[in-house]
Amino acid sequence: MENHVELSKVSKFYNASKRLHALHEISFNVGHGEFVSIVGPSGCGKSTLLKIIAGLDSPTSGEVRFRGGPIHGPHQKISMVFQAFGLFPWRTVLENVEYGLEMQGVPKQERRGSAREYLGMVGLAGYEDMYPKQLSGGMRQRVGIARALAVEPEVVLMDEAFSAIDEVTAEVLREEVTEIHRQTGKTFVLVTHNLSEAIELADKVVVLSSRPAKVKKIVPISLDRPRDRTHSMFVHMHMDILHLLKEELENTFIRHKLKGIPELQEIHDMELTHNNEESKKTLITT
Amino acid sequence: MSVEKQKAIALSMTEMVFSGNRFANYLWIFPLAFGFAVWEIVTRIGLVPSSNLPTFSSVLVVFLASIQNQTFLLRIGYSFMNLVCGLLLAFSIALPLAFVAGSKNNFDLTLTPIIMLFGALPDLSFLPLLVLWLGPGSAAAVIMASVAGFFPIYFTVREGTRSIPRELFEVTSIFKSDRFSTFTKMVLPAISPHMFSGLRLAYDFAWEIIIAIEIATRMAGIGDFIDGNVSSGSLASGFAAILAIAIVAIVVDRAFFGSLESWTKRWA
Repeated sequence: MENHVELSKVSKFYNASKRLHALHEISFNVGHGEFVSIVGPSGCGKSTLLKIIAGLDSPTSGEVRFRGGPIHGPHQKISMVFQAFGLFPWRTVLENVEYGLEMQGVPKQERRGSAREYLGMVGLAGYEDMYPKQLSGGMRQRVGIARALAVEPEVVLMDEAFSAIDEVTAEVLREEVTEIHRQTGKTFVLVTHNLSEAIELADKVVVLSSRPAKVKKIVPISLDRPRDRTHSMFVHMHMDILHLLKEELENTFIRHKLKGIPELQEIHDMELTHNNEESKKTLITT
Repeated sequence: MSVEKQKAIALSMTEMVFSGNRFANYLWIFPLAFGFAVWEIVTRIGLVPSSNLPTFSSVLVVFLASIQNQTFLLRIGYSFMNLVCGLLLAFSIALPLAFVAGSKNNFDLTLTPIIMLFGALPDLSFLPLLVLWLGPGSAAAVIMASVAGFFPIYFTVREGTRSIPRELFEVTSIFKSDRFSTFTKMVLPAISPHMFSGLRLAYDFAWEIIIAIEIATRMAGIGDFIDGNVSSGSLASGFAAILAIAIVAIVVDRAFFGSLESWTKRWA
């Protein structure tokens, strides 16, 4: 499989003083049409990593290459689905899906047409003139997915795309994304804290360590789709990766306790309060 | 007729009166009419001397005559134009400043404390200086109205800008929106609910300031008209002018700001 997106030694420091080391020399490849999930302990910087791939943020060192060329800023062929959906509340469903094409200067009639087509693909035909507030979370994310697909990207990035949706709806949506992936053959990169979700969707799972995040392991998932969460192989992989993550979680606690550096402690506390729900969910769902 | 049926009818009738849109939207007419009636009665029976308060009916008569009088209408128009120019000036200065303050923290820390300082001063305290520099004309009135309107617009737009989720900026970046489209197609609609309430407040403040200036500086306008008539004893004319201002203020408020807000209510 030829590489579509390549990360080579991507590092990220925060603060002018470069004191906060978020990502450390992260390298992995994403093949054409491959579905890659990125998992890691809460607050390890996996969303930052996705933003760097998206060109929304730049690495302190190292680079991200798309079709062999380095990425500087967002690329027209790389699209994104957002955690809180990222819809414009003042735009109707149709207008939201049109947005990317509108920014590309596609004439109105034409972009209306493709927006309708992608709305149909995510099962929202008939909802064109509604406003986001009239839709449920799952439906809003469908709009987000349609918007991401409407610009006909080669790579679709998903930042915790299913985590703000109730579990049953999320499961249905995951199945549909699997189907869209199969049909369109696009490349997908998903960041998630939900381990089952990562395994269910991906061709390979990149496991990151706690901060500074390094690639701890890359786990290929060769199970047949659609995937059965109760399948013994699935369960095994799940347990293996969960074990890796738990190890990291413990490492984090120990390191912070030993070092006792006030700044780090503070950041860690912030993460704990901020991601408390998330960590709980990770433990429960996984 | 069964009791249940009667109850049901009574219930539906109360619903019609109190929650049916048709009637409920005009319920305010009742207390208003009651107030006018009390006014009419206390002046008719001489409870309040007519030198202090003319009868409501005489005010209505003068009002109806006044609104056919060109100078009267011109005075209102003059005040209104000063107000609108002042608000436009305030808006065009406050919007960009507030937007930058809302998005750039250092700029906010540099500018906002100073704006708060000026905002704490009573606006009218600048008036004598302005009149000294510019004379008692439209220029002074426009500037005063813009000063009064500046603060609510600045603070609401700043707050609106700050409350735009970071994610929406990322959306504009991902879909390669240029700076101009980001502002017109994302920031402006996103802050519009805040901005509209700021404008509405600015409009209220500006009316007060305009009338106060006209009275204080005897500048031609409806405020001066009220002052002149009241001091010369024609209270009914004064009240007629107040009534006219109230109508202009309310109609603009309902028609302009009401329609802006009904747009935001559709999606917000």
